[in-house]
Amino acid sequence: MESSFSGINTALSALYAQKRGLDVTGQNIANANTDGYSRQRVNLQATGGSAVGAVYSLDKGFDGSVQVQSVQRMTDSLLASRQRSEHAQDSYLNTVKGTYTQLEQVYNEPSDTGLQNQLGQVWDGFHDVANNPGDLAARSTVLARAKVVTDSLNVAHNNLTTIYSTRREVLDASVDEINTTADSVAQLNQAIVRGQGSGSSVNALQDERDAKVLRLAELTGGTVVEQENGTTDVYLGGSPLISGQLARHVQSVGAGRLQDQAANPVGLQWTDTGNPVAVGGGEIAGDLLTLNSLVPDQSNRLDTVANSLISSVNQMQTAGYDLNGTAGTPMFTGTSAADISVAMTDPAQVAASASAGGNLDGSNADAMAALADAPAGPDVTYRKNIADLGVSVQSASRRADIQDSVTSDVDSTVGSQSGVNLDEEMTNMLQYQRAYEAASKLLTVIDSTLDTLINHTGIG
Amino acid sequence: MSIEYRVTERSIASRALAGLQGNLAKVGTLQEQLSSGKLISKPSDSPTGTVQAMQYRGEVRSQQQYSRNADDGLGWLSTLDNTLTGSLNQIQRVRDLTVQGISTGSNDPGTNEAMATEIDNIRQSLLDSANTTYLGRPVFGGTTSGSKAYDTTGAYTGDSGTVNRTVGDGIKVRVDATGPEVFGTGSSSLFSVLGNISNDLRTNPSALSGDLSQLDGATANLQAHLSDIGARYNRMTTMKQSADDRVNNLKTQLSDIEDIDLPKTITDLQLQQTAYQAALAATAKVVQPSLLDFLK
Repeated sequence: MESSFSGINTALSALYAQKRGLDVTGQNIANANTDGYSRQRVNLQATGGSAVGAVYSLDKGFDGSVQVQSVQRMTDSLLASRQRSEHAQDSYLNTVKGTYTQLEQVYNEPSDTGLQNQLGQVWDGFHDVANNPGDLAARSTVLARAKVVTDSLNVAHNNLTTIYSTRREVLDASVDEINTTADSVAQLNQAIVRGQGSGSSVNALQDERDAKVLRLAELTGGTVVEQENGTTDVYLGGSPLISGQLARHVQSVGAGRLQDQAANPVGLQWTDTGNPVAVGGGEIAGDLLTLNSLVPDQSNRLDTVANSLISSVNQMQTAGYDLNGTAGTPMFTGTSAADISVAMTDPAQVAASASAGGNLDGSNADAMAALADAPAGPDVTYRKNIADLGVSVQSASRRADIQDSVTSDVDSTVGSQSGVNLDEEMTNMLQYQRAYEAASKLLTVIDSTLDTLINHTGIG
Repeated sequence: MSIEYRVTERSIASRALAGLQGNLAKVGTLQEQLSSGKLISKPSDSPTGTVQAMQYRGEVRSQQQYSRNADDGLGWLSTLDNTLTGSLNQIQRVRDLTVQGISTGSNDPGTNEAMATEIDNIRQSLLDSANTTYLGRPVFGGTTSGSKAYDTTGAYTGDSGTVNRTVGDGIKVRVDATGPEVFGTGSSSLFSVLGNISNDLRTNPSALSGDLSQLDGATANLQAHLSDIGARYNRMTTMKQSADDRVNNLKTQLSDIEDIDLPKTITDLQLQQTAYQAALAATAKVVQPSLLDFLK
């Protein structure tokens, strides 16, 4: 026999449950535009009855009440994993693209003012000397134009060293961010384990931790393993960065200046063991590629151009004779783009003549002018470098652009899965509102029937 | 949990924003092209185009220099041509006088003396011609740094070096002629032949016919060089013309690679702006409504 008052309890449980539903709906609406917020859903369950049915049992298995089983975060761990790996790849490619764009800006090509044109002016100057070997003005012009070229090479080299040292500082800042983020993920792991132990909701903590883990993936391309107890571990190249409630730290090592890079390459190592960190992707991998490969390679290529200019012109200079009839001396000093300079100060020393004796022969100057088209000459070397750089920049940009759209597609899918749809929330709100109203009505009706029974029955 | 396809306000907004930014970036690129007039402003815009542009620029520069070199060479060659043509006229006068001397023989010493004096003057004038300079350099002196090719006695003071001008890729044209080549050397040189003629007129008219054949030999040599110089002048003119033509061609090609097609770019910009405005209008309409608008 059921109690007369059981219906009141049912109505009360309905009021509680629908109220909770309204609360969660309100929370979803409030966070409709919050980054990293996963929408939540109230899971309701009909209660009562014995868990194990038995023969001859009088229990009907259901007492008519409802309870809030859980408030669920609507996330998909597979999708989150894909989002992390696409974000890591996107950060890596965009970092590389950024580097290439900077490298491209070192050279002002194609233009009427770039190094190519400046070199051309030098060769033209040699033609003028060949036409008029006795003219000191033509000779001075060659020296002045050669100075412009060496200045440009020096400036280009300085730009590369600036790109290097700036990026090295960025790497240090990123390493700091890895360490602080890893610390907070470990703390959040701890808070989540405790929260779950005490039965309180850890949804917000999980949202916050997932956002930080995503940031770690963007920085390092680390792999993520979700544990049974609700914690999240992060591995870098097979070694744990975060293991449950413990976080390890990493540090950057290597040269701070471009000229020291070859002897002391840049890398990451574990602070505790000193072993190198195998970085799989992300911004850090892009930074390391920039520091250890892209910038030094570009610097070497610039040195090749400078060397080609130094050796080819100096070789012809020393093979010729200057205006005074003495054997020619080198025009350039230095061995790289960093230290190339014009050694010659006296325009008469330009070795225009191919024979001794102080004649007005211009054939050596003419031969130097022909260096413009030399197969391995500075012009050809430089043009090839610009072409290679252009192709690299173009392909890096295309890869980054493609990855951008893949990443935003995944973000959008995650948004569809975990984001808040206001129409849906409004619909839910209506449902909860109506159910709440109905439960109130039920309470009123039960109250009125009990009133009839208690106050108005048997009173004659 | 069933995966139904959900669309949320945020995802619509972020997609709309990404689309608008893409549209705006295209407008920006077109506007940059229009304002700079250049299709290629950095190597990655078109790596092959960049290299071609750099090569064409280098080529334009060297062809312009070849044209300048040819101008200078033409100056040298025309100086040589004018000088030698003038010299030939004077030599013709010497030949007339020599023939006259042969027919007169030793009959009229006074006339012979007058003719010898005239020939001495012509010899001096030819020596002056042989010292003709172009921009301060004696054109018959090879690569000498001195200011004269011949001294007052008629001895050659220049050297045997040659003066060349580069007028094309690997194409050099000689723009000088040394004195010994044009005027001969030793006893057969024009100046010693002329000296002999004036001597023989005064002292030994019977040797004049031998002198005449020597003079004819020297003249023939000079004429041969004159025609060679004329041929070199023509070659130089042709090379200059082809260098100038090449510069025009290269500039056209450079413009094809580097410069924008103005009507096409303007049309593209208009289309892109229209697309952008349409996207803006559509975004404003799509993002706005929600169930909220209808639950009142």
